[in-house]
This record gives sequence, structure tokens and C-alpha cells, in this order.
Amino acid sequence: MTEPGAGRREAERTEARDGRNIDPEIGALEGEASQQAVPSDRATVEGAVPYSVWGREPTQRPDGATYYDRPAIKEPVWIWAVPAYFYVGGAGGAAAVLGAVAQAADRQGFARLIERCRWIAAAGTASGTALLIYDLGRPARFLNMLRVFRPTSPLNVGSWILAAAGPLAAGSAAFAGSDGPVRRLGDLAGAGAGLLGGPLAAYTAVLVTNTAVPVWQAPRRTLPVLFVSSAASSAASLLELEELDERAHRVVERFGRLAKLVDLAATVAVEREAGRVDRVAQPLKEGLAGALWRAAKALTASSLMLSVLPGSSRAKRVSSGVLGTAGAVALRFAVWHAGTMSARDPRATFEMQRAGHGAAEVTGQVAASGSRGSRAV
Amino acid sequence: MTLGTEPATRKGFFTDTTVCIGCKACEVACKQWNQLPDDGQFFTGMSYDNTVDLGASTWRHVAFIERPVPLFADPIPGDSDETFSWLLMSDVCKHCQRAGCLENCPTGAIVRTEFDTVFVQPDVCNGCGYCVVGCPFGVIDRREDDGRAWKCTLCYDRLKDDMEPACAKACPTNSIQFGDLDELRRRAEERVTQLHDRGIGDAYLYGADAAGQPGTEGLNAFFLLVDEPEVYNLPPDPVVPTKKAGAAWLSAAAAALGLLGAAVGAVVMGGRR
Repeated sequence: MTEPGAGRREAERTEARDGRNIDPEIGALEGEASQQAVPSDRATVEGAVPYSVWGREPTQRPDGATYYDRPAIKEPVWIWAVPAYFYVGGAGGAAAVLGAVAQAADRQGFARLIERCRWIAAAGTASGTALLIYDLGRPARFLNMLRVFRPTSPLNVGSWILAAAGPLAAGSAAFAGSDGPVRRLGDLAGAGAGLLGGPLAAYTAVLVTNTAVPVWQAPRRTLPVLFVSSAASSAASLLELEELDERAHRVVERFGRLAKLVDLAATVAVEREAGRVDRVAQPLKEGLAGALWRAAKALTASSLMLSVLPGSSRAKRVSSGVLGTAGAVALRFAVWHAGTMSARDPRATFEMQRAGHGAAEVTGQVAASGSRGSRAV
Repeated sequence: MTLGTEPATRKGFFTDTTVCIGCKACEVACKQWNQLPDDGQFFTGMSYDNTVDLGASTWRHVAFIERPVPLFADPIPGDSDETFSWLLMSDVCKHCQRAGCLENCPTGAIVRTEFDTVFVQPDVCNGCGYCVVGCPFGVIDRREDDGRAWKCTLCYDRLKDDMEPACAKACPTNSIQFGDLDELRRRAEERVTQLHDRGIGDAYLYGADAAGQPGTEGLNAFFLLVDEPEVYNLPPDPVVPTKKAGAAWLSAAAAALGLLGAAVGAVVMGGRR
């Protein structure tokens, strides 16, 4: 015999099957993780193996201990929007600096160059902000980034820099063509954005190195140089696509050549700093990340070569700009993807720390980490 | 077992892996008390470990380590047949003294509680994911469908009510011990001495204090291990990334100044009429 209401209760129970198996008639969802959302199609997920779990037989092998080759750290959850932000934010920051310097040197003579710089800065910071918000797990809470000031978090420091630089860049661009006091206001905003442009282009490197990911943490002295030179190269490449007068083009050309030269030198320096432990630099050499890294170097080098060749045709400049832009974008995506690969490799973490590049290199002490005695096979 | 439960003292876990029997009662108790959703109930097929790792909805994980070696470097006399041994360890958030997740958190969602534990406030977290890469132990993770980062709270709600965390309460062998940090350290050192006296010279404490693990300045949830940390999927010399940030900030400042210099140079050199 079926009791009345049994069908309704069964339906409620099915609804409550969110992986917690709590009958709403008996239990209340008040635990610390009870608000954790689960997918509505949980039932179809159940029983499935979500990924290849053990890549090999579980028994230990003598070639350096890992836990069945499972990752020792979590891989970044950042999506494509983050490397895309590194590119646009860097380009915007470097353009703001060049615009502010040109403004200080010759406001009238460089009027068009300044205007283009300001628009790149405005577009870079605005689209960068949008990309960062899009990457959040809870985008509606993006303002929480400015809830505190926390100098230990490069992401917090960067949010404050971006929050100040974005409106300044937008204001400077909007007032670039005005006259009188409004124009002076725009110039003031342009100078402010120029001051923040350097920090904006540079902090993202600290953001990336201030992590447990070996290939990001290891090159912490050289990666900021690479990120800033890549930002300058990005801005110069975008300006090469613009129609400017000869004098402005000479400025852009000099700026771009230096940026691309330093960029190429910095890629080698990053490889060397990360490569102090072979395993750490491995993602820069193989797979998709390695291919992107090599492509970035080749594209930037060809852009540089094109720009030092004689001649000043628009086609040459545009080609150099396109190659430079592609190189800069490839570089950001290479760094991003290399981080994922590095986090998946437990030996990168272990070998880096065993080689003295864990806490030992900053604290001068080595952590208690057991003996190898009983493990000898 | 609970030790001294006055509030506002430093609390932690001492996990003695030598008495862990791999029953996973801690995993179940944690899931049940905290009302964590399941992870899909899949079967790995190659090990007794079907939990695999810690994550957003897995706050205790028992590792099952199969070793083709005797349990101890000096086999027990008359027990010469031992060519295989198990190691078991219930892993958990370490509640580091210098916590990578907390120092990386840009919103202030991750805080240190009155019990000296590290706690993520779900109503503040905006899911930026920066704590995930800040943790040197791979503990905290963002749940994709939820959008926020989650990890062990050291049963903050139970601590406030003077109760011990669910995992420690459920542990049948007292492998997981909860209490005041000073008292836990004293017991842990006693246990190591006891094991050494019994001929188990490999026993050592992982992360018990700043001297033992300078990179994190000590873990509020520390472990007694009998093999290298890597065997348990623990890093041998972990470091809170912030300890290395100074060099990166200096380099970034120099690079930003270089950018300004490059712009000045380009404008002056290229701008000549």
C-alpha cells in the first residue's frame, strides 16, 4: 500500500540528490560546505571516471618517488582570458608610458602619436578589466578585489593599479582632441596613466612568479623583464599598424626595436633561470607551450629584422606590426600553458626543491625531509 | 581525542601516519559533517585510493602507498619475507603559519581565525583562483560549477562549540590527533623518540615547526612520516611563494623604470627634426 504524498516526497528526494544524499525531511543543509553548488545533472555524472586517474601501475618505481605520478600541486584554474589580459594590459600600460613621454616632449608635434597611445591604453585597460572579470568564478563579486589593500597579494596590488590606470587612460583618450581646460585635464590624466603604465605592465610578472608553479616561480628575476619588454613590443607593434607622420614613426620604430631586442634576450634569460633545474624548464621546450614559446621568439625576431631593414614603406611597417603582435600574443599564451604543464609534473616541484631552489634559497635552511634509507630498491 | 579546548588558543592536527589503517573514516566524517557533495563516485581501478587527491569538495584524503620494500630499513628478525609494504596517510590542509593561499588572496576572503587556522569565507570569495596556485601543497581548489575556492576549515563551526573536528573524532586509531599545537608537538616528539627506540630510525616530523620547515614557518597540521615526503605526494622543501616575491618586485621595478627610459630614449632620438 502506498501512503499519500509518497510520490511528492520521492520527487523532493530526487531533487535533493545533489551528491549529499540528505533527505530534506530529516536533515537541514547548514554545514560549512552546504552552500557549495553542484551541477544539476549530477545523476549523469555519477559512476563516470572523470579523467585518467593512474597513468601507471601503482607500485613505486625506483626513478624518483612520486605518488603514482599524480600532480603535487593544483594546476591553475585560469582560462584563456588571463593570458589575453596579460597581453592587452601590457600593451595598454606601455602605450600609456610612451604617450606620456611624448606629451612631455612635444604636445603639439606629437599630437596624433599621443592620441593613438592614449586610445591603446584606454582600450587595453578597459578590455583587460573585462577579461579579468570574465575569468572570475563569481564575476558579480569583482568589486571584492578592492575590498582590502593587501601588499602580499600581487593580484590585489594589480587590481588597485588597474582600477586607477583604467579611468585615467579612458579620460586621457576621451579628452585628447579637446581644447582649453578640458585638454589640460586630459593631459593630466595622460601623465597619471603614464606613471601607472610601467607598474601595470610589470606587476603581472610578479603575479605569475608569486606562485608554487615551478616554471613560473623559478624565473622570478628575469620574467618581469620579459613581461615588460613584451608589453613595450606589443604597444610598438600596434602603433606600427597606425598611420602616423614620419617623425612619430621614427619614435615608434626606435621604441619597438629596443623592446623586441630586450624581449628576445629576456626569453633566453628566462630559459636559463628556469633551466637551473632541467625539469623545471621542460614545458618551455616541448608540447604546445614549447611550440608557442618557439613561435613567439621566431615571430618577434622576424618583426625586429623587418624593422631594421632599410625602407619606410607602410607595407613594411604593417608587416612588422602584425608579426610583432602575433609574437607577443604567442608569448603570453606560452607562459600560461607552460604553467599548467609544470603544475601537472610532480617531478618539477620535487626536483626543484631537492636541488636547493625551494625554501632553502631564501631561508638558508633545509626542511626536515626524511631519509632515503628504507626506500632503496 | 581532544586536548585543552579553551577557545582562542592555537589549534591543529598531528597526523601520525604509522598508525593509520586506511579506513577512510576521516574522509567520510568530513564529507558528512561539512555536508560536502560527492565527487561523482568513480572507481580508479588500480589502487585502493579512489579519492585521488584533496580538492574543493574533498578535505581529507587517505593516500595508499604501495612500496616494493620492507616496511623498515632493518627488518624485524624472523620476518624476512617482507618484500612489500603499505604506507597510509590521511592528508589535509596544513593550515600553514605562512599560508600561500591567504597571502595571495586579493579579496581578504581567506583569513586566520582565533584558533590560528586558515579559513575561506564563502560569502566573500569571488573565485579569482589565485589561492589555487599559491598553495605549495596543492590543497585548495576552485569548484568549477560553484565558482569559489574551498578547503578544510579545521571544522571552524565545531571548534566554536568546543568540539574537535569531525575527522579526528572519527579516527579509530588516533592517527589524527587534534589539540593545542604546543601539546601536539610534545606528543609528536615523544612518539618519534619511541619509534626510534624501537628501531624505526626513519620516523621524523614533517612541518612540525619553523625549524623543521622554514618555508612555511611550520604547519598547524603536521605529520609523522617514515619515508621521503615525495612518497606521500608532499613537497620536500615547500615555500610560501611570498617569501620569494621581493626579488620579483625589485626586478619588476627595474623593468618599469627601463620602460620609461626606453620611451624617453625613443622620443628624444627619434623625435629630432
